[in-house]
Amino acid sequence: MEANASHDVVVIGAGPAGLAAALGARRAGAGSVLLVEREKALGGILNQCVHDGFGLFLYNETISGPEYAERLAEDVAREPIKVETGAMVLDLSPDRVLRVNTRSGYGLVRAGAVVLAMGCRERTRDMIEIPGTRPAGVLTAGAAQNMVNLQNLRIGREAVILGSGDIGLIMARRLTFEGVAVKGVFEILPWVSGLERNVRQCLMDFGIPLELRSTVVEIRGRDRVESVVVARVDEGLAPVAGSECVIPCDTLLLSVGLIPENELAKRAGVELSPLTGGAVVDQTLMTSVPGVFSCGNVLHIHDVADWASFEGFAAGASAARYAAGERPAGGTVRVTALPAVKYALPQRLTRGTGEVELSYRVTRPLRDAEVLVKGADSGKIYARKKSGRILPSELQKIKVRPAVEEDLEVSAHE
Amino acid sequence: MSDRPPLDRLTCVLCPVGCELEVREDEAGGLEIRGNQCEKGVPFAVEEVLRPMRNLATSVPVRGTVSRMVPVRLSGRIPREMIFPVLKEISRLRPEAPVRRGQVLIADVLGTGVDVLATRTVA
Repeated sequence: MEANASHDVVVIGAGPAGLAAALGARRAGAGSVLLVEREKALGGILNQCVHDGFGLFLYNETISGPEYAERLAEDVAREPIKVETGAMVLDLSPDRVLRVNTRSGYGLVRAGAVVLAMGCRERTRDMIEIPGTRPAGVLTAGAAQNMVNLQNLRIGREAVILGSGDIGLIMARRLTFEGVAVKGVFEILPWVSGLERNVRQCLMDFGIPLELRSTVVEIRGRDRVESVVVARVDEGLAPVAGSECVIPCDTLLLSVGLIPENELAKRAGVELSPLTGGAVVDQTLMTSVPGVFSCGNVLHIHDVADWASFEGFAAGASAARYAAGERPAGGTVRVTALPAVKYALPQRLTRGTGEVELSYRVTRPLRDAEVLVKGADSGKIYARKKSGRILPSELQKIKVRPAVEEDLEVSAHE
Repeated sequence: MSDRPPLDRLTCVLCPVGCELEVREDEAGGLEIRGNQCEKGVPFAVEEVLRPMRNLATSVPVRGTVSRMVPVRLSGRIPREMIFPVLKEISRLRPEAPVRRGQVLIADVLGTGVDVLATRTVA
């Protein structure tokens, strides 16, 4: 790589969001686009997601993660987009200078606009503080997925899964296919955090027990996991004494949540939301740092890759327009989530914006619910949507049509 | 309307509404579906109870590479009870590089009418 390069748009990360962002930037007229990816191959986490179910919204058919990635990468290859794989962005400054370590050396890159698409990380054992010994055999579900699908490794013989996130459910089935006995999935909350179709097709199909309101309270074993102790929890999520049960196993998989990977965003001074773990953005997906945009799982956790890509197309297009000198005009209003709504995004809108789609998640399952987008001052209803059922596992969308002239509040009522 | 206990409760996954369906045996020995807000819910629930169909995905090592794997899936769905017999067939596969995306690795696997496909290109 040139020691001092300059591009209209630089996209960091080439997963479902970043690949789409690079394409979105080109299609919106960006002259030079650089796509930087840490791994050797494009596609990010899609490469290890060999199950099908991807592409239903983007391609109108259901395909595997690798197929989805390869198709998007082929679209990227047809455009004059400069792709750097095996390259790491080490730093991003508020004035959009990137320090990049590539296979051909270290250099500075000046960007007209930057799109953050670094994805997310899995929560680990340390982050949820499971007591016990420190044996081998405790893995995050995604690490196990990488080892099984990409490295052909046998990760164990008998596994317990803590947490009911989608990757954990998918891995319950995948391990069953590989001859590993999956002894159960334990979820501390009273509801499943993954999608219902995964409960049915990954657990029920194979008779794998699912225990809600229960968790792993101890890991036992010296060199390798020998057993885990599970217990029921009370309303306050504290283990109930006397409900403990020892389950012999040599592997514990953790599927206990995902966290947007925003180390670079922090270095650039991007304001983060404590509710999403991602950037605070406006309707163009621009962060608090002018010219820096965010999309996909680094912005907020998605349950469907296609939506991360749609966000990527939009962020890439916004970045191209910013690089061409376009600036949003006027002041901003805030979008706030009220109880029962965990967050709503974008969190900021340029005053006068209309026809904007808000993404949101609810905090708990709701029945016969109505979601309202209300003006904070006037009480005017900007949008309403009725649903028989809304689950926390499913990212929701609502369209606000009128031009917004005041702060908005998003609320859900049963 | 039958008052027998439901044989199955399931959420329809054909659209985002996600109707909660209940399947019961009716007086005549047929199936009665409740909870569907549109007509698509009925065949969905009947198939899911009588003959659930599934796709499956795994990955297999590619010969002629340094321990690279190629992910595979089926070109369509198979009856659920065929999952493990089909997995056994797939486990024997050791395709030679290069493998291209969409390449048929086993045609009409075990007479199910569907193919085993490579889902990425491994050169």
